[in-house]
Amino acid sequence: MTDSLFSCLIKDPAQCPIVVNGVEYQVPAQLSVAAALLYLGDLAIRKHPISGESRAPFCHMGVCFECLVSIDGQHKRRACLHQVMPGMCIDTAMAGVNP
Amino acid sequence: MNKIYDYLVIGAGPAGMAAAIEASNAGLRVLVLDQAASAGGQIYRNLGQVGDHQAKVLGADYLAGKPLLAQFMAANCDYQPMAQLWHIEAHEKGFMVVALVRGESITYVTSHLLLANGAMERPMAIAGWHKPGVMTAGAGQILLKTSALLPKRVVLAGSGPLLLLLAQQYRAAGVTITAFLDTTPKSNYWHAIPWLVAGFTTPNQLFKGVWLTLVQRIKTPYITGVSHIEVLGEECVTGVSYTAAGKAYEISCNLIMLHQGLIPETQMGQLLGCAQVWSETQQCWQTQVGVAGQTSVPGLQVAGDAGTIGGAYVAQTKGRLAGITRANSGVAALSLRKRLITLWLCLRGKQLNWARGLVDRLYRPAHWLSEPAQDTIVCRCEQVTASAITAIASTGCAGVNQLKGFTRAGMGACQGRQCGLNLAYLVAHAQNRPVSEVEPLTVRPPLNPINLGQLSRQAEL
Repeated sequence: MTDSLFSCLIKDPAQCPIVVNGVEYQVPAQLSVAAALLYLGDLAIRKHPISGESRAPFCHMGVCFECLVSIDGQHKRRACLHQVMPGMCIDTAMAGVNP
Repeated sequence: MNKIYDYLVIGAGPAGMAAAIEASNAGLRVLVLDQAASAGGQIYRNLGQVGDHQAKVLGADYLAGKPLLAQFMAANCDYQPMAQLWHIEAHEKGFMVVALVRGESITYVTSHLLLANGAMERPMAIAGWHKPGVMTAGAGQILLKTSALLPKRVVLAGSGPLLLLLAQQYRAAGVTITAFLDTTPKSNYWHAIPWLVAGFTTPNQLFKGVWLTLVQRIKTPYITGVSHIEVLGEECVTGVSYTAAGKAYEISCNLIMLHQGLIPETQMGQLLGCAQVWSETQQCWQTQVGVAGQTSVPGLQVAGDAGTIGGAYVAQTKGRLAGITRANSGVAALSLRKRLITLWLCLRGKQLNWARGLVDRLYRPAHWLSEPAQDTIVCRCEQVTASAITAIASTGCAGVNQLKGFTRAGMGACQGRQCGLNLAYLVAHAQNRPVSEVEPLTVRPPLNPINLGQLSRQAEL
């Protein structure tokens, strides 16, 4: 993962352990799944099924369907509509999953 | 098991909350279904949980929603958050609404229905807008409200009050705004001048708007009259190019947030067969709505930004009016007090709509944005470019629905929400006819994706 373009406004936020593509991370507990991926520096989280181009969360309100990931084995979840939960397993295109 | 309600409200934003408060106070059995995890809509998103530091950055207009939110939470109505509505249709008892709640599909039946599901951002189809590193300004604000997440540095591009507000909030939080590319056409200012009269009827809003604009112009690298923005970069965003005062410029950046106003979410009303009208002023389709929110379908109301874009306060006013009207339908003997409140809300709603005319004229989207460049991906889901759409439209295709069959544009997961308006503009331009004559994309269920397992567990439809 690369350097994140985002940072958290809250100092010392409560942390939540999540697993992204098999690797465990601690992220601020108030993040949505999409926000967590951005926070971890994962901007391109999806490969477009037609062109194979990288895509990233776009609208963050459930309209655009650009942030589809697999959450706890459930495919095609909109990452922007779910909050991170302790132990949540998130898989993105970067792990070979293309939800 | 089917649950039967007197009034089902879709959306827990200012309009939905206000309507639910009124209707439940009057003793109706009310249910509010909302997609988000907590009430407030996009404008008051996460207001109930937000920390002091975030609240300070988000400002007074955001915190102004607290009394409404508190009243709603105390109201005697059922409230179901995290409900993803996927189907809605007429039913012998009124309407049937089907939503996914915790992964299970649940059917609700109601005699009367209010659509207060709000707005979305007007898609700003510029070249490269599909690349990682491009987001909407609304997305930026949602990240701030729900996740307390901020970009380190960002380019803001487009036009409209939300973009200015976001710039203000970002500056307050210490975000570096690399550039503010204002696409408001200069001619808009001339068209807006006569509407200052309307703007002065809501002086607070007017002065706030002027102040917000002036501050951003002074405190950010603010470039006016920007056109032909193009996002640069191979895989992810590395920069942005644009034209200003006849000259081409290029700046490097990794993150750009776009905005050019809001459009109503009309899909639910369309699915129920509500008459749609093209609004020349707001440049979008709207569900035809009467003073108290009534639509062309009996028993169905629309309130707030889901009808006409007006902002939080207008939405609250209209939601309240819709709720009171529903609660008193069929009751001839309205108390004098209720009658006066109704009259006042009607007049206030009309006046606020009129005042909004100033914002609509000033921030009317620039014409170049309705004619995306050839290689711009207009339908993001199906990867269809502007030139492919224009090529089919030029052959005389009947409209966007036929165009969908030829190109797959509008057939993807977002169900045409991100491309529908731009398809219509492109068809209108190619066929040299007004966009008002191009019919919107037909809406079909499911409005939200549902998998076969969930569908098979659905008890009855």
